[in-house]
Amino acid sequence: MRTMSGLFIAREFFGLARQASTNADLMQALACVSISMGFDYFALTHHVDFAAAGHAAVRLHNYPDDWVAWFDARRLGVSDPVHRASQATSIGFTWQRVPELIRLTPVDRHVLDCARERGIGDGFTVPAHVPGEATGSCSFAVATGRCVPFDNLPLAQLTGAFAFEAARRINGTRSLDAQAPTLTERQRDCVLWMARGKTDWEIARILGLSQETVTQHLKQARERYDVPKRSVLAVRALFDGLISFSDIFRR
Amino acid sequence: MYLTTLSGTQGVPNGLLAAMFEARKRIFVDLLGWDVPVVAGRFEVDQFDDPHAVYLIISDEAGKHLGSARLLETERPHILDTLFPELCEGAVPKGPTTREITRFALDPRQNARQRRRVRDTLVCALANHALANGIEAYTGVAEIAWLQQILAFGWHCEPLGLPRENGATLLGALRIAITSETPTLLVRAELVPEPVVTPRPVRDAA
Repeated sequence: MRTMSGLFIAREFFGLARQASTNADLMQALACVSISMGFDYFALTHHVDFAAAGHAAVRLHNYPDDWVAWFDARRLGVSDPVHRASQATSIGFTWQRVPELIRLTPVDRHVLDCARERGIGDGFTVPAHVPGEATGSCSFAVATGRCVPFDNLPLAQLTGAFAFEAARRINGTRSLDAQAPTLTERQRDCVLWMARGKTDWEIARILGLSQETVTQHLKQARERYDVPKRSVLAVRALFDGLISFSDIFRR
Repeated sequence: MYLTTLSGTQGVPNGLLAAMFEARKRIFVDLLGWDVPVVAGRFEVDQFDDPHAVYLIISDEAGKHLGSARLLETERPHILDTLFPELCEGAVPKGPTTREITRFALDPRQNARQRRRVRDTLVCALANHALANGIEAYTGVAEIAWLQQILAFGWHCEPLGLPRENGATLLGALRIAITSETPTLLVRAELVPEPVVTPRPVRDAA
């Protein structure tokens, strides 16, 4: 019976989110679906520093105000342990599982403790990775002392994914920058091996090119991106999805 | 880009079908680690690659496979009813105007931006194929990250059930309604399909 109603809730939310034309509409739909699923809070966000001005980033939530002020004052948008953990997976996770996904620092533990003190207990986060955009997530949380509704996590996964897409549609953040530079296949290969820590000589041996050619490819790739350093080139190529973390670490 | 629509009964005049089966092996076996059969160490071919299957294949001018999808008749055995019926809470959608999209494949030899162009082109080609052939709905099984992208295409899709764990990932089933409005919805969702050329049969080229 529970799963039957779960699908019903999902479909109802899809309908509302699809029709939402403003962030206020979407927030209302998220507030309703959070309660239906047995959560107290929702937070749909790009993982950026919200205290820094000029970001066309999305953040919709109904967290307590003093928690948000505390969070922003510490510029946690980027370093928040839950946000970092969501980079490590494509599947939703409960916050209890965060230590399995990333190594927690003492500061991280402090952040989680402070959230609890300010009324936010456990939660479930659905990651959203879109190449060429800041990463983001949609979280659902329960008040301190309450239990995450485990039976409804598949439903939360589905609603979180759809909510993030609806937010991107409403806020017009989903177009890839058409002006973004592109690399040739050879340049991309060289950037990939460079990101894996290989020297030009090593890359030359791997790809069967001369060392000068490799150096030239990487120079041209930097010029296309207009970046002065190779490290910045690797990060930009990652951000645009020209190379991926799994490309770098899979051998 | 070139769009070729083949049914399993038509032979393999230009090797495109073989190129697709090779690409599918690279993607689904080598990259995604699916436990599916491989023929001759090179081709990913399963029991649904039969004369009833229809393939939409995007290729470049040199005949290199860029992306493809396989459509299965839902009144015959297909993925959802054969392998994952538990993903549907109700009955598995079946009917003469419903096809299942399977093996949606983007060639990994391209970079992310190129893959996205091929993806958009293939999604729009699927919508057009449906409209031209009286298909009113597609169904499909998707791993959660891909399912999230499918939801983002702006077309009208509904979950058929809640996602379920399958190994280390989550799988979900969707039904996508295709109407004359669908191409507009896809464009509104900022899909940017490339113009496609439908190759003529080889004998006309001479």
